[in-house]
Amino acid sequence: MLKVTNVGKTYGKFTALENINLEVADGEFLAIMGPSGSGKSTLINILGLLDQSYTGEYLLEGKSYKDVNDNELSQIRGDQLGFVFQNFKLLTTYSVYENIEIPLIYSKKEQNKKHELVADVIQKVGLDGKEKNLPSELSGGQQQRVAIARAIVNRPKLIIADEPTGALDSKTSKEIMEIFTKLNKAGTTIIMVTHDSEVADYAMRTVYIRDGRLYNDEKSVKNHD
Amino acid sequence: MTDKILIALKSIAKNKNRNFLTMLGIIIGIASVICILAIGDGFTHTVTKGMGSHNVKNKVILQWEPTSDYNTDGGFTQNDASALSKVPGVDHVKLTSSVVEAGAKAQYKTKNVSMSLNKQPKHLKLIKGTYFTMTGASNGVYISEDLAHKLFKENAINRLISIDGTVFVVQGIYRVNDMTEYRPDAYVSKTIFKELFANQISKDRAKLYISSDANKKQVGKTAVKRMKKMGEQKNTGRYVVSNPDQISKQFTKIMNDITYFIAFIAGISLLIAGIGVMNVMYITVSERRKEIGIRRAFGATSSDIRNQFLIESVVLCVIGGIIGIIFGYLFVSIINAFLPFKAVITPYAIILSLSVSTAVGLIFGFIPSNKAAKSELVGLLKEE
Ligand SMILES: Nc1ncnc2c1ncn2[C@@H]1O[C@H](COP(=O)(O)OP(=O)(O)OP(=O)(O)O)[C@@H](O)[C@H]1O
Ligand SMILES: [Mg+2]
Repeated sequence: MLKVTNVGKTYGKFTALENINLEVADGEFLAIMGPSGSGKSTLINILGLLDQSYTGEYLLEGKSYKDVNDNELSQIRGDQLGFVFQNFKLLTTYSVYENIEIPLIYSKKEQNKKHELVADVIQKVGLDGKEKNLPSELSGGQQQRVAIARAIVNRPKLIIADEPTGALDSKTSKEIMEIFTKLNKAGTTIIMVTHDSEVADYAMRTVYIRDGRLYNDEKSVKNHD
Repeated sequence: MTDKILIALKSIAKNKNRNFLTMLGIIIGIASVICILAIGDGFTHTVTKGMGSHNVKNKVILQWEPTSDYNTDGGFTQNDASALSKVPGVDHVKLTSSVVEAGAKAQYKTKNVSMSLNKQPKHLKLIKGTYFTMTGASNGVYISEDLAHKLFKENAINRLISIDGTVFVVQGIYRVNDMTEYRPDAYVSKTIFKELFANQISKDRAKLYISSDANKKQVGKTAVKRMKKMGEQKNTGRYVVSNPDQISKQFTKIMNDITYFIAFIAGISLLIAGIGVMNVMYITVSERRKEIGIRRAFGATSSDIRNQFLIESVVLCVIGGIIGIIFGYLFVSIINAFLPFKAVITPYAIILSLSVSTAVGLIFGFIPSNKAAKSELVGLLKEE
């Protein structure tokens, strides 16, 4: 699915990421763990083509997007990637249905199929009957389901989730992770940042970040200390 | 496109008060534009229509104008008329007068006063006496309050006055409101007026009816030349071809001044409105950084974002424009009560107003929309 070679990122003098090497296979479910400020979001933003200012090489499906124009980049984000954020990032004045519909507005998919696609994902995340509600009328877990529905409505190959359970209690986190597992079983590659080792257990593999460096298992992080 | 306009309407509705205040400038500007165009169009329409009846193709009007203010009596004589009818191209000549009332001398006892008089109108409101239409050679006269004051110390009714040597009985007195109307100093019966006074009115206007193949300009020139040489009253006045355009030209100038003034107001308020729109769009863009980030993350290109805000700015301005058109319409209905002609709102004026609104939205919305489109994505997504 993707290959990261020697990627680095600095904010002025501050080195946020350094010498990152990572390979994720098709259909994998990867968890990224690490303390606050270690560079998890920074890395995942690069992987999600949200941030293009890095050094080194990043290939998504064998292609580098470092120098493509904004239109192409937007199209890849809309059609091949799906984002889930910690604080849901829903549009508060839009209904559940309208929030989920957003990626379809900008995709080249046939107009008449859109309603079907939205209805399908609403059912998948278990939000039937909530189409017309505003996000403020939903619980945190339900809001995150809306966010997941929005992320998968375009049937992306890769889901990128930055602490999807960060704002949820453990019971709700579990439900969300079950949805993720189901999606992964159906063939979607997932990369997920989390603080919570219980949540990370749903993933096939976990990598660790510390001070901008990536480690393949917890032991090597400890050895490094 | 409809869905995009709906999105714009939705976010405009979210901040009704703020957006309405922003629209005010546009409303005023567009209402002014509508008024200017309505007055201009109405005026042109009236003038061109008037010229159609006034300035018949086969007629040249010659006017005698006094050269001094002291001796204003004069015009064309019968000899002048027959000379004019011999101008090549002229079929026949008719002498008329630009004024309809006659001048005369009124006398009561030892008092002598110059006055103007005319045949009595159908209706007249009196402050003293009763008004009726006098028949035949009736020697009744209605006089203005002003003239009554000049001639009599007290009650004027039923007193006898002499007008150019003929004795009349004062039947009634009317008041003339100088601000709103014009009336001569006295009215006599139709028959008397015709018999005694009408012939005194100087014929200062000659209508030359020309044959269909004659050149109007040429006929006018030759006629003026001939009158200059042999006109019987060439020493006290001059002869000109009366041009109906002339009057309207002067009027047009006044209208133009008014138009420039309103256009100035319209321009200023549209400029202020534009700045307001720009300001409100800047606020909107910075308030909605999160939304922009979300849309960008889910496939919106930077031009999608730019268009979204541009559409919003244009929709805002067009709504203002539509309200402005409605206000302009109301205002035009009001001023029509005071105008000597009818101001009309043409479809062209409405199209122009909507185009101007759209242009304001595009021009002043562009920079904020561009700012929204160019914002850095990672920063936008940190926004709550
Ligand atoms: N725009 C920026 N300018 C300067 N420094 C930044 C910027 N964004 C992030 N950083 C720094 O980069 C480092 C990594 O940030 P990042 O957001 O990736 O952390 P994180 O691992 O996601 O932390 P958390 O778990 O709290 O979300 C932090 O030390 C942060 O201060
Ligand atoms: Mg983070």
